[in-house]
Amino acid sequence: MSIKEIQIPAFLKRTFNGRNVAISIPYLWLLLLFLFPFVIVLKISLAQPVIAMPPYTPLFSWGDSLWPKIQAGLDSYLFLFSDSLYIKAYLSSIKIATISTVLTLIIGYAIAYSIARAPTRWRGILLMLVILPFWTSFLIRVYAWIGILKTEGLLNLALMTLGVIEKPLIIMNTDLAVYIGIVYSYLPFMILPLYANLEKMDMNLLEAAADLGCRPFKTFWTVTIPLSLPGILAGCFLVFIPVIGEFVIPDLLGGTKTLMIGKVLWGEFFYNRDWPVASAVAIIMLLLLIVPIILYQKSQEKAIS
Amino acid sequence: MTRFSKFNVSAIIIGFTFLYLPIILLILFSFNESRLVTVWAGFSTKWYVELMQNQGIKDAAWVTFKVAFISSSVATFLGTIAGLVMTRFGKFRGRTLFSGMIYAPMVMPEVILGLSTLLTFITLAIDRGVLTVTLAHITFSMCYVSVIIQSRMSSYDDSINEAALDLGCTPFRTFLLITFPIILPAVVSGWLLSFTMSLDDLVIASFTSGPGSTTLPMKIYSMVRLGVTPEINAVSTILVGLVTAGVITASLIGKRQRQQLAQS
Amino acid sequence: MTETTTTEPWLDSNQKPYIQIESVTKKFGDFTAIDNLSLDIYKNEFFSLLGPSGCGKTTLLRMLAGFERFTEGRVLVDGEDISEIPPHLRPINMMFQSYALFPHMTVEKNIAFGLKQDKLPDNIINQRVEEMLELVELTDFAKRKPGQLSGGQSQRVALARSLAKQPKLLLLDEPLGALDKRLREQTQFELMDIQEKLEVTFVIVTHDQEEAMTVSSRIGVMDSGKLIQVATPTQIYEAPINREVADFIGDVNIFKGIYKGQDETGTQLLSEDSKSIIYATQKVDVPVGNRIWFALRPEKLEITRKLPEVDFNILKGKIEDIGYGGSFSTYHVKLENGRQLTAIRANRERTAEHHLTWGDEVYLHWAPHSAVVLLS
Repeated sequence: MSIKEIQIPAFLKRTFNGRNVAISIPYLWLLLLFLFPFVIVLKISLAQPVIAMPPYTPLFSWGDSLWPKIQAGLDSYLFLFSDSLYIKAYLSSIKIATISTVLTLIIGYAIAYSIARAPTRWRGILLMLVILPFWTSFLIRVYAWIGILKTEGLLNLALMTLGVIEKPLIIMNTDLAVYIGIVYSYLPFMILPLYANLEKMDMNLLEAAADLGCRPFKTFWTVTIPLSLPGILAGCFLVFIPVIGEFVIPDLLGGTKTLMIGKVLWGEFFYNRDWPVASAVAIIMLLLLIVPIILYQKSQEKAIS
Repeated sequence: MTRFSKFNVSAIIIGFTFLYLPIILLILFSFNESRLVTVWAGFSTKWYVELMQNQGIKDAAWVTFKVAFISSSVATFLGTIAGLVMTRFGKFRGRTLFSGMIYAPMVMPEVILGLSTLLTFITLAIDRGVLTVTLAHITFSMCYVSVIIQSRMSSYDDSINEAALDLGCTPFRTFLLITFPIILPAVVSGWLLSFTMSLDDLVIASFTSGPGSTTLPMKIYSMVRLGVTPEINAVSTILVGLVTAGVITASLIGKRQRQQLAQS
Repeated sequence: MTETTTTEPWLDSNQKPYIQIESVTKKFGDFTAIDNLSLDIYKNEFFSLLGPSGCGKTTLLRMLAGFERFTEGRVLVDGEDISEIPPHLRPINMMFQSYALFPHMTVEKNIAFGLKQDKLPDNIINQRVEEMLELVELTDFAKRKPGQLSGGQSQRVALARSLAKQPKLLLLDEPLGALDKRLREQTQFELMDIQEKLEVTFVIVTHDQEEAMTVSSRIGVMDSGKLIQVATPTQIYEAPINREVADFIGDVNIFKGIYKGQDETGTQLLSEDSKSIIYATQKVDVPVGNRIWFALRPEKLEITRKLPEVDFNILKGKIEDIGYGGSFSTYHVKLENGRQLTAIRANRERTAEHHLTWGDEVYLHWAPHSAVVLLS
């Protein structure tokens, strides 16, 4: 009997056609390693910490009774809200993310706009120069600033040699250093969507506005900015959302007073080994970010189709 | 408006100085004779020599390259399929969720990704090590690959595939002979992006790695916490050099291919 | 099979249609793209589907190619039902509007692609590719890639590629749409030559009515998923079946009015414009008092300054605009009630004695047999 003679049931054929297999491979991967993990985090955030491995209590335990005993509690969440450190850390993260997003937007817009208005043969190389640092290690780029910003660092050295200042500036281990680090690291994320948008913009529109008697500055505000809104939004999402949970920059450049929730989560997990609280911190952060993330996804889908 | 205006020139010069000066200084001081990173004491390559003798860094580098190579290859495979599914398969059940799972990891804070993936491995009783770091890297890299493929496919002329079918080519062969060669540059840049992101990642690797799977960024991070040293500058310089060379080569290849395929 | 090759097989009841589209319906959700459409196309025809964008003509073509499955009905090619055959197994080839050349393959590889799928021996493939390159005069460009070709050259590669497999039927989706006017007109004749030489049945989709008139043996005018009229170019132009067809093909003046009966001159219409009776030779069979229309092509309206020496079909007006078109001029004439008509006159003399100019009072006249009577 040849293979061809074996009858494959129709419903199996329908389920396992190429199309469904192609969809299900990446789908299942993401379900298992992206979505399912959040369920686990939620589960552990409801458990109690214990000194064991893993360092949390199981959610269900079978004692003598027939029914499993559910040991879920909101203890970790109550703890988060009772200690003002956490609330302050959330608020401070939002503040730092907002301010640095605005700073990145202003600087990024100026650069993206200038590249988009540059002669065509220059644009490719300039864009490439923007992307290049984005490919090199994040950690290394943040590290590079330590040598510049620290009290006996290159910036102070240069300023004092030039006689601009007499005493070294204290920038390292302050919020200012964190802002510099964030703007520097996230600048390419802002420039790329802005450039993509500004480059496509029809220059005739600006000429039309000028032709109708609009002054350049007003044209910029009433034509260029509104038309580049999709790029602005995409860039701001790409900066704001990850910065909320940023760990490396506040850890290396910020001081003890720099409160950011990503750093708190890291501390709870690695130093305090309180996994339920770390999970609760993550869940609250996720709730904070879910709306911006959905908005970002919608804007991206629209941009691609 | 084909000339630079004064504002445009200054914005570009200041912007690029800001972007590049820190990296240039970092590279410069990796060749400093002195252990102090701020005082120039003459040219020397001694930190590179010392680096070569540091077994810990060499081990970490090997682990990192292994993880980056495997994770970027698998991520490119999965991400390419995901990108094609999103652009060519039309509507299917659960499409919105799928698209959400592709875009969310790109902006999701790394601490959340790292924590959640680690807790999953523990729940599934998978020992932490090279495997877990690789799996975690595949997950976020495939999303980037998928988005690159999606944007390539958005300018893909569907009638090219229809023409192949029309000329008697089966759907599967059409993918192999037509679609894949055409989108190959996007697939390659997806792979490169995945590779460098895996190479760079500190946070997710810190969560998901175990004994014996310390990656280079983790090693650098622990050295940085102890202070700024020319040795770190040296290892950073090597990494920056490698990535720069890779990106430039890739973009030159891409440019040549684009010129050849100028029409589509 | 009948030996007599008639030039108009659709009039011969002994001829078997080559393609039979039988009550085909295609729905996209609630939207009906093709609405219970039936059509016969004969061997060696050059058939045009003509209509405004969104009328369903491209959908119909794509259904023949197999890219769209229809909701109801069936399609036969040479008596064989092809409704369930996937596109890659159909003996039909298509030339795409975007040309859809494979950008990573040379011109000769593009042309050879379909032949390779049939696993033909190399020497036959090479020979066929060479023939095709000669046919479209691109032998020197065999090793080029599509990115290095001009629009006209790409168009010819696309044509050669779709003809290489010697299909029974070639579908062409706006094949000349991307070319400029001059090249388009030249290519129309090349297409006709190739079609005649290779004896392939062509079905072409176009929105350009001049193109359809030039190349086609027959034209199917489509709107909203239905065929309104299927006829030869001359019939479509001179005897459109309703106002929609008349209006879509070329310029036309439509006179609205009430049917008043018939006499020896022809059908009488009480015109709304002149409040007088106007005539057309063509007879109709509707009750007196019905609303009917006369359609008159601009070139059939005679425009004079002197009152014509007849006593019917005369309208008086004033010249509003003149469009000089070289060999002819177009006049917009405003009637006393404000209605504007279009007349075309050939410029036979270089310096016309009785030159018409803006503001001139003129008379418009037409022979009764020039007008078409429309019932809808």
